[in-house]
Amino acid sequence: MRRVLLGVLVAMSGCKKAQDSKAPAPKEAAATRLVGLVTDIGGRGDQSFNDSALRGLEAWAAGVAFKGGAHAPLPPAAREATIPPELRARVRPVAVKPLVVQSKVQEDYQPNLQLVVDQGAGLVIGVGFALENAVETVAKQNPDARFLLIDSPVLDAKGGLLALKNVRTVIFKEHEGSFLAGALAGLVAKERVGFVGGMEIPLIKKFEAGFKAGVKTTNPSARVLVQYTGSFDNVQHGKQAGADLLSKGAEVVFHAAGSDGSGVIQAVKEARAGGAAVFAIGVDSDQAHLAPEAVLTSMVKRVDLAVWQAAADLEAGALSGGDVIMGLAEGGVTLAPVTLDFPGKAEALAKVEALRAAVVSGALAVPANDEALQTFSPPSH
Amino acid sequence: MLEATPTPPGRLRRAARELARAALPSVAPILTSLLVCFVAVAALRGGVAVAVDAFLAMTWGAIGDVPRLLEGASVAVLLRPWGESATKAALLTLTGLSVAAAFRVGLFNIGAQGQLMVGALAAAVVGAAVELPAALHGPACLLAAALAGGLYALGPALLKLSRGVHEVISTIMLNWVAVALIENWLVPGPLRAQVGGGNSVAGTAQIHETAELPRLVGEVSRLNAGILLAAGAAVVLWLWLARFVGGYEWRAAGLGPEAARAAGIDVRRTVLRAMLTSGALAGLAGAVLVLGTEQRYPATLGAPYGFDGIAMALIGQGHPLGVLATSTLFGGLRAGGTRMQLFGVHKSFPELIQGLALLLVAARLVWTKLADRWLPAREGGP
Repeated sequence: MRRVLLGVLVAMSGCKKAQDSKAPAPKEAAATRLVGLVTDIGGRGDQSFNDSALRGLEAWAAGVAFKGGAHAPLPPAAREATIPPELRARVRPVAVKPLVVQSKVQEDYQPNLQLVVDQGAGLVIGVGFALENAVETVAKQNPDARFLLIDSPVLDAKGGLLALKNVRTVIFKEHEGSFLAGALAGLVAKERVGFVGGMEIPLIKKFEAGFKAGVKTTNPSARVLVQYTGSFDNVQHGKQAGADLLSKGAEVVFHAAGSDGSGVIQAVKEARAGGAAVFAIGVDSDQAHLAPEAVLTSMVKRVDLAVWQAAADLEAGALSGGDVIMGLAEGGVTLAPVTLDFPGKAEALAKVEALRAAVVSGALAVPANDEALQTFSPPSH
Repeated sequence: MLEATPTPPGRLRRAARELARAALPSVAPILTSLLVCFVAVAALRGGVAVAVDAFLAMTWGAIGDVPRLLEGASVAVLLRPWGESATKAALLTLTGLSVAAAFRVGLFNIGAQGQLMVGALAAAVVGAAVELPAALHGPACLLAAALAGGLYALGPALLKLSRGVHEVISTIMLNWVAVALIENWLVPGPLRAQVGGGNSVAGTAQIHETAELPRLVGEVSRLNAGILLAAGAAVVLWLWLARFVGGYEWRAAGLGPEAARAAGIDVRRTVLRAMLTSGALAGLAGAVLVLGTEQRYPATLGAPYGFDGIAMALIGQGHPLGVLATSTLFGGLRAGGTRMQLFGVHKSFPELIQGLALLLVAARLVWTKLADRWLPAREGGP
């Protein structure tokens, strides 16, 4: 047994040596195409943030699917099906090889990023603001490696912005997408709409401000009822908050509350089953599958697009550092297709589309916080 | 008569034999578990070659990437894995010692996780809110963490002594109290880091540099003083149990409280001291996590090191040095195991090895029988 093992080892190291000496140049080229991705502790299969990032790298860019512990090629039609119609022309396959390392605990972020760097990845992607510290440290220690950090700029110890040449960061204008969600909610509801937030942090305040501005634009007389659950991982909290808002007369409830949001959608679904004509609006990815009869639309955050874009830029040799902000104009946020029917649907959608065009063209600035919301005046029509 | 005057080599051989006999019920399960997992990877992930690759990757990830060093890579390929293995080993050792200390007086402290959390929070708060010179700040944080963990364990001990509340129930429930108190309220609420500019950060404020555990080989690796602290704690606990009257009282109280009481030992005081020590050790583990690598209390403390401590104490047979050895091994496997993902092995694989080893340790009778057959207590016979 020992001899066999030794033989295998020798054979393997022999192969490796031979490859190294034969063709150093192709190896170099191949190394620049390796794209590493480190998930946060949510990991693969979270139905949300991490899965979206993985979709951007694996399906959209590399055209592969992860099955049984390995990547297998994805047929073009199946790849196409994962891309929303409006992006199909733009999102072309990129010659990259994904290398995904999942994080079991947060103290693994840093070694995992370093591991991917050590494998020779031309681009290393850190998914989620929880990896901010780790990306910062590893990027400083490996000035030649390049990084993409999703959902947070790089911050110093005091919380100030820190520019690193080899890091691209992407944040999203959630308020712009939420603005359209609010506009649609204002058109569907008569008197009251609801907003359920997770933790009351600046990121979620952006959703709230945009949403309120949207409602104010299409239905100035409607009241927006707001409730925060204080968590992102408690379905029960979300359900309570959702049921509470519904009992106060909310007709459409938008949530930005992570996993709590499935509870909000659940509450709306149950109210509908009880005969109430109420709707939910999902967040991050198209959540219609959670309750097809109750989810009006979702405010989609295109993490997948940000990841694909970085991979494409890497291939084109145009991967720059700096902070990228993706709003409606860049396709970073959008509304998921509205499949449910309600009275006046065609006019409502046309109105939302017009507002989208106004935001994209820059004619309309959406407030991103409470102060800006105070001074926001809806466009006249 | 031969035993009465053994020659030095004979004594040495006998000591080695005794050690081997004592270690077999730990070592054999670990080796069996590694072998089973190797076969499983080979069967499920495309053959022996893949399994060899994956296990080699784990090994180099644990003890340092020797092949790459030989190929001329910088010494960082050695130091970084050391740092990761040592970090995990320190955490496992401290929580393992925590459980082992309570074991010795006959208590089953399942609350190491909760004690670790309050310890981590205490270290994070003292590290961020207090300003002290470096020579004092680190020790102050460690002290705060040990105190917090110890006090958190004191409640169950008092309940046990005064009302007979079983410590398994009270400590396990206090774990959830800690989660609710710290991660659902304090960390996202009053203690959340305040940063300007609409940016979101997770967890509490970053600790001052003076509070960080010193890095042993510079910034290239996360190897820090935590492993020295853990190893020191193991040695001290071992000496205490083996060489001090107080430690003898712990063991006596654990083996038979009635007999100990009859012999004049204050069992009440003994149990309180052991439980305080147990909680303090778990609290120190939390401090090592915060002061060594995280620099703040993160949004959620994902890793259940407190529960892993139970496994470490059981596989290490409750012996402080056994716990240290077990934790060092599994710390390395945990740190290196991440690399097996490169070969399609699931991220939880190191925990699988640990769980299987624990299961096999539980079959203690098998291993002691084997030890009797392979390494009989006396050579030769009468």
